[in-house]
Amino acid sequence: MKNKFLSTQKYRFINYSFLQRMNSFRIHSQKGLSIIILALIPFFAKAQDYDLLLKGGRVIDARNNIDAKMDVAVKGGKISKVAPEILVSSAKKVVDVSGLIVAPGLINIHTHVFAGSNPGFSDGQSSQLPDAFAIRSGITTVVDAGTTGWRTFPDFKAKVIDPSVTRVLAWINIFETGFSSGSAFEPDMETLSVQKTTEVIQKYPESIVGTRIGHYKGKSWVPFERASEAAKIANVPLFVECHMPEYTLQEQLDHMRPGDIITHAFENVSERMTVVDEQGKVRPFVLEAQKRGVLFDVGHGGAGFWFNQAIPAYNQGLLPNSFGTDEHRTSMNSGMKNMLNVMSKYLIFGMSIPDIIARGTWNAAKSIKREDLGNLSEGAVADIAVLSILNGKFGFVDSGQNRIEGDRKIEAELTIRAGRIVWDLNGLAANTYK
Amino acid sequence: MVSFNLFNLLAWRSLILRMIVLFVFIHKAGSAQQHDILLKGGHLIDPKNNIDALMDVAISNGKIAQVAANISESTAKKTINVSGLYVIPGIIDMHVHVFQGTDAYSTSVANSSRSQQADAFSFRSGVTTMVDAGTSGLRNFRTFKAQSIDKSQTRILAFLNVVGNGMIGRFQEQDVTDMNPEMNPYMIKKLFPEILVGIKSAHYWGDFTSVDKAIESGKLADVPIMVDFGEHTPTNSIESLFLKHFRPGDIFTHTYSEISSGRESIVDEKTKILKPFILEAQRRGVIFDVGHGGGAFSWSQAIPSFKQGFLPDVISSDLHDLSMNAGMKDMTNVMSKFLALGMELKDVIERSTWAPAKVINRSDLGHLSIGAEADLAVFNLREGKFGFTDVRRVSVQGSKKLEAELTLRAGKIMWDLNGISGEPWKN
Repeated sequence: MKNKFLSTQKYRFINYSFLQRMNSFRIHSQKGLSIIILALIPFFAKAQDYDLLLKGGRVIDARNNIDAKMDVAVKGGKISKVAPEILVSSAKKVVDVSGLIVAPGLINIHTHVFAGSNPGFSDGQSSQLPDAFAIRSGITTVVDAGTTGWRTFPDFKAKVIDPSVTRVLAWINIFETGFSSGSAFEPDMETLSVQKTTEVIQKYPESIVGTRIGHYKGKSWVPFERASEAAKIANVPLFVECHMPEYTLQEQLDHMRPGDIITHAFENVSERMTVVDEQGKVRPFVLEAQKRGVLFDVGHGGAGFWFNQAIPAYNQGLLPNSFGTDEHRTSMNSGMKNMLNVMSKYLIFGMSIPDIIARGTWNAAKSIKREDLGNLSEGAVADIAVLSILNGKFGFVDSGQNRIEGDRKIEAELTIRAGRIVWDLNGLAANTYK
Repeated sequence: MVSFNLFNLLAWRSLILRMIVLFVFIHKAGSAQQHDILLKGGHLIDPKNNIDALMDVAISNGKIAQVAANISESTAKKTINVSGLYVIPGIIDMHVHVFQGTDAYSTSVANSSRSQQADAFSFRSGVTTMVDAGTSGLRNFRTFKAQSIDKSQTRILAFLNVVGNGMIGRFQEQDVTDMNPEMNPYMIKKLFPEILVGIKSAHYWGDFTSVDKAIESGKLADVPIMVDFGEHTPTNSIESLFLKHFRPGDIFTHTYSEISSGRESIVDEKTKILKPFILEAQRRGVIFDVGHGGGAFSWSQAIPSFKQGFLPDVISSDLHDLSMNAGMKDMTNVMSKFLALGMELKDVIERSTWAPAKVINRSDLGHLSIGAEADLAVFNLREGKFGFTDVRRVSVQGSKKLEAELTLRAGKIMWDLNGISGEPWKN
C-alpha cells in the first residue's frame, strides 16, 4: 500500500476507494498545498486515467462471483477497475456495451494450431492458424493439444506461438515429435522420455500447461504411464486424447489422477467405449471418475460430439468442465464450426449463461493451472470477450449430422487482448462516419 | 418334345414380359431419384442467366441438372428446404492471399502464416473459388500449388506475381531483374493454364516498370493484369495508369483506398469529388476491384463515389492476417457493406459471382446454368442493426447482413450453418 501511495497522482486516484481518496486529500492538505490545485488534480488525472472503459454490460466473472451490471476499466493492458458505475470522463475511450455480456477472454483448451506447410498436423496443413479462429470467437487463449513433443516444441514456439496475437499455450506430447498423421501409431518406447518432457515443461512454464497422450495404437501402458509420470513430476495435469483403441475407457479413467482431463468426452465411435450406455445411462465408473476429480472436456472435433451422448450426460450431471473444440482442418467446417457454436449447443441443452461462461473461462483456466487467466480481477491481464445472445431460429448439428433446434446463439461482438481491441464485429468501438 | 418346346416358349415369353415390366419399374424408380440434391423453395439469383425469382435447383453428379419453378421432391435423393433463403452461384473471391506456410525467409505473405488457409475462410462465407492475388511468382508457384492449392477443397486460382519470388518481402518485390516477361507467359499458357488467370503487379516503389512488364507478360499470355498501385513516393498518376498503360480488362485493385502517401485516390480527398477520368476509365474497360484488405477500404472514398454513380466491378476481400480480424472480417461482411451503401442485392451478387468469372476469363464459373459445376451458396439476409467498419475504424450502420447458410462445392455440402441438411435428432 505504501508503494502504491507513493506512485503518481493519476494512479492513486483510480485505485483507491472514496475514503482512501479523502485520506490522501487530507494528507496533501497537511503538506500545505493549495486546496484549489489539489481539487483540480484528480479531475485532470481522471480525464486521462483509463485507456478503455466498457460501460453498462453484464459482467460475468466466475472467479470473482460477479454476475451483475458493471463497468470495466482497462489501463496499461490490465484490468484496472470493475465497479457498478465508473465515470465516462475517466477514460480515453468509452465503449457502450449495454445489453451485452462482458466476460473474461474465452479459453479453448483443445486445438491444433501448429499450422505450416507439411502434410498432417505438425507444422502442417491439418492444423489451423490460431488467430484465424480464436479472436473472432471471443477467445484470447488457446491450448494446442500435443501437436508437438519436446523435440518439436521450440520450432512450434518460434513459428506459431511467438507471432500470434492469440495467447497460445500447449499440452506437450509424450511422443518426442508429437503427432502428425491423424491415425494411431506405435513409437519406439526408447524415445518416450519422462526426463526430457519434464525439462521442456520446466523450460517453458509460461507456455506448456501439461502433458498429453493420444494416437497410440499399442497395448502397452508405458506411454500413458510416462505421460502421467512427467505430469506428476512437473505438477501439471495430463490431457488424454483420442485414438487409443487398445485402452478401454475404464482403464484410461482409472489411470487418471484428479485434475487430469479426458477430452472427446461425448464421442460415439467404435474405437472407444461411450460414456453413456445402450440404455441411455451414464456408466457408473464414469460418474465415479468425475466424482474423483477427473475433468471432462468437450473436444468436439469432426467426430467427437454426439447428441446421444452429450444430452443424456448433461441430464444426468456429467457436464463438461471446458468447451475445447478440437479445431483442425476436418472439424472446422463440420458441426463444430467454432467455440461459440459449441457453447451455444449447451445453451440449447439448458445450461445457464453464467455456467457456460464459467466453463469457457475460469473453469478452463483452473484446469490448466493458469489462475492468472479467465478472470477480470483488478490487475489481471485485460483479455476480455464481449458477447451477445442472438434470438432467432437456429440449428445445431452433431458429428452424426443430427440436428437440434434452438432459439438462442452466442456471438462475439468485441475481443480485447491485453487491453487492445482485436475484434469488433459491429464497430462498437469505431467512430461513426460523417 | 413339341409340348415341351411350347412350354419353353411360353416360359420365355413370360420371362421376357416380366423383364420388361421389371425394366420399366427400375427405370421409373431410377428416374424417381435422378437428382442427388434438390434445393427447394429458395429465391434464386443468377445474374448470368438473368434469374431473380423463386426457383428450385436440382443437382446430379456434382453438376447443375435442372433449374425450374417447381421440381418434384420425388425426383431427388435428398431435398433441402431453402425457402426464405437466397440461392446463388458459389462466390468467387477474386483477391485473397492463401499461400500459407512457414518459410523462415519470408517477411510477407508468400509461404508464411501471414497468408491464410483457404478452407478456413471460404465455405463459411459462401465462397467456392478463391483467386490468390500474386502471392507467388514463377519461382515459388509450384510450392504454393503443392502445399495449398492441391490440399484445399476450395477451388484456388491465382494471379502469378510479375516478380519471380512473389511476395516474400518488400525489397524482393522491387527487383526488376526478377520480373521475367517471357517466362511468366509460359507458366500461364503452357504449364498451369487451369490455375493461373493473370499477372499481378504490386507494392512497387518506382515508375511504371513493374506495370509495363506485367502488361508485356499479360499480352503474351492473353490474360489480364491486376495492379496494386501501392507504394510510390511521390505517387504515380492513376489517370496515366488507366488511360495510357492499361488494356481493357486490366484490373485496378484497392479501389477505395485512401492513404496519405503512396497511392492516388479515386475521389479527391478534399472536395470529395470523383475524379472525372474514373468513369471514363471504367467505360474503356478498366476493372475496379474492391480488394478490401487491412488498409484499402475507406468509407470516405466508397460513399462519395457511390453517390456520384460509380460502382466497383468486382467485390473482393484481400484476405490476409492483417485484414481478417479488422474491418474486412470475411467476404460476406464485405458484400454486406455494399448493401449498407445502398447497392441492390442482385448487383452485389453479380459483382461477387459472374462479374469476377468474366474478368478472369472463367465463364464456366459464377453461374448456375445446366451442366455447370454445382458450386452454390445459400444465404440468409439477416435483419437487424449492424455496424460496418472501414480500415480507419470508421463505421456505417446497416439493417441487413448476409450470412452463409449452406455452401456446396461440386455438389458436395461443405458448410451448413444451421444444419438445414441434417436429420432431426430423436431421443
